[in-house]
Amino acid sequence: MINVVYSTEHWIMPIIVMGILAILLVAVIVTEGRARVQAGKPFFAKPGRFFKENYDKLKLFGTLVLFAAYIFCLDIIGFTVTSLIFVFLFNVLYTGFGKKQMIMSAVITVIAVLLISVLFGVVFNITLPSGMCSITFANFGFTIY
Amino acid sequence: MTLPFVIGFPQIVVALLGVIAGLVFGAIPGMTATMAVAVFLPLTYAYDLETALYLLLGLYVGGISGGLIPAILINIPGTPSSITTTFDGYPMAKRGAGERALKIGIVSSLCGGIISLAALALFTPLLSAAALKFSSVEKFLIILFALTVIAALSKGQMLRGIFAGFFGVLVSLIGMFSVNNAYRMVPSFLKSKMQDGFQLLPVLIGLFAIAQIFEEAEEGMRFKVERQDTDSSTTEKFSFSDFKGQGVNIIRSSLIGTFMGVLPGVGGSAASILAYAQAKNFSKHPELLGTGAAEGLVASESSNNGLTGGALIPLLSLGIPGDSTTAVLISAFMLQGIQVGPLFITQNPTTWNTILVALLISNIFMFICMFYPIKWISKIIYIPRQRLYPVIIMICVVGAYATKNGRIFDVWALLIFGVVGYIFGKIKIPASCFLIGFILGKDLENYFIQSISAANGSLIVFFTRPIGWVIWLMIAASIAYAIWDNSKDKKKKAAQKA
Repeated sequence: MINVVYSTEHWIMPIIVMGILAILLVAVIVTEGRARVQAGKPFFAKPGRFFKENYDKLKLFGTLVLFAAYIFCLDIIGFTVTSLIFVFLFNVLYTGFGKKQMIMSAVITVIAVLLISVLFGVVFNITLPSGMCSITFANFGFTIY
Repeated sequence: MTLPFVIGFPQIVVALLGVIAGLVFGAIPGMTATMAVAVFLPLTYAYDLETALYLLLGLYVGGISGGLIPAILINIPGTPSSITTTFDGYPMAKRGAGERALKIGIVSSLCGGIISLAALALFTPLLSAAALKFSSVEKFLIILFALTVIAALSKGQMLRGIFAGFFGVLVSLIGMFSVNNAYRMVPSFLKSKMQDGFQLLPVLIGLFAIAQIFEEAEEGMRFKVERQDTDSSTTEKFSFSDFKGQGVNIIRSSLIGTFMGVLPGVGGSAASILAYAQAKNFSKHPELLGTGAAEGLVASESSNNGLTGGALIPLLSLGIPGDSTTAVLISAFMLQGIQVGPLFITQNPTTWNTILVALLISNIFMFICMFYPIKWISKIIYIPRQRLYPVIIMICVVGAYATKNGRIFDVWALLIFGVVGYIFGKIKIPASCFLIGFILGKDLENYFIQSISAANGSLIVFFTRPIGWVIWLMIAASIAYAIWDNSKDKKKKAAQKA
């Protein structure tokens, strides 16, 4: 029996689901722990390494930091200019500082960003993040975000 | 005369573009059909529903099919569902019959796609008609069933699968409850942004595209595909007589793929592995499978394309996605304001017919785009992924931002779920189970509250209707199967260790 009261009914389902999750969590811990005991190991496994051995710290955390910075700047600077900066930085992060790589990164960035910006923002008229570097061409009725 | 479906020049062009883009995503190892559909979804904001469907179904078919190219040529499955293609495809390529293997794979893919399309056309109306009789009680139970099926098929990690599913449900409940407009689980400073919680699209591309990029960044993105000399100038040429005696194999494998596609959350790899095992069971020369036999290739490729039609059956008749790619299609329907479910076909006959036509055309385009220019198409596998990822990040940002007509909050959600998906991979929680729970969570709650409100809070209501009993039986059966399969799996592993 569950009393459905208007003022609190929004909590019925979340509480049930949290209950189920708690039960499942216990079940996972118990069954996996028992399996370890059967295999002659202690009930609780030592926490294994989270990251892979010799993982690429620069690329992993670089991706995270660049991504966050990218989002942060979008609203301030505007889509096209921000993307030009960050798509290039991502390219450099993934392929390195070699002269040939840098030129390639720049070429890919300029082509890809302009293509996406025009295709989505102008041709398809989808709203893109705008900021101080967005320009509206009122006479022609379109915006470069 | 008006056609009962929508087709025209723009639709044909976007279907062709979809197939080609899908092929590229499918053929580059590590990039999947789900990613293809997710990344291109924002493009559809500008289209009407029918045109969008041509694009998305083209991407879906292309993405599933492209996986066979690297599987055969460099022994790396381009998508998870082409794992079994490597078993026989690569040995063939090594002995110089790469082109023949590719063409056998392509023809099998086409057959699988067409057979599953026929199944889709036949069974969806039947299932919808049955589902029309569902009250909120049955609707609640069928979602519960979907969540237990996920678990039954998360091989060897049943509990983690169910956990992921319910965790997805919990996350979907974040936000405002539509009946009493009260918030739950939302920090007060986010109330203005999270009225309807997290949007599907950022969650989905975060989990399936961004998380993948994090994983590869961790490994340093140092992949270089070795160019292998598999020149196809040998005596083994493709001819349609390769398919002599393969009729039963094709139909069986396609139907296995279709059936596995119907079950929510199963995915292509399970389908192709099952079809491959059956082909081996029924083969006259089982010892040849795995050494480069056309039979194995046929089984693998027709089953994974069989998935395409199958996964659409529960999506269109019950509103439950069969795999992560069709989960993306749900958001395409939502964006266009169309509710998929039992009433879908009767209310939108044109859209329904268009789906069938679009799927047929996509399969034909897939065949044309792959079969004849296969020598050139197969070069796709050498595109360096580290050059594509920055562009994909940008397109994902565009997609997330445009979800609700331009909110930066959704882009942050994209990043958050990218990190969540990355962590899921580390602690072995299946992201596809989480996603299905997330998609179905709100409906699960609504039907539950409706059912018990109507019964004055009594839970007995869930056990009083005959159709409900049938679904309870199915739930019990799927859990029993999961437990049986789980223990069998464990015994197998124990036996292997001993």
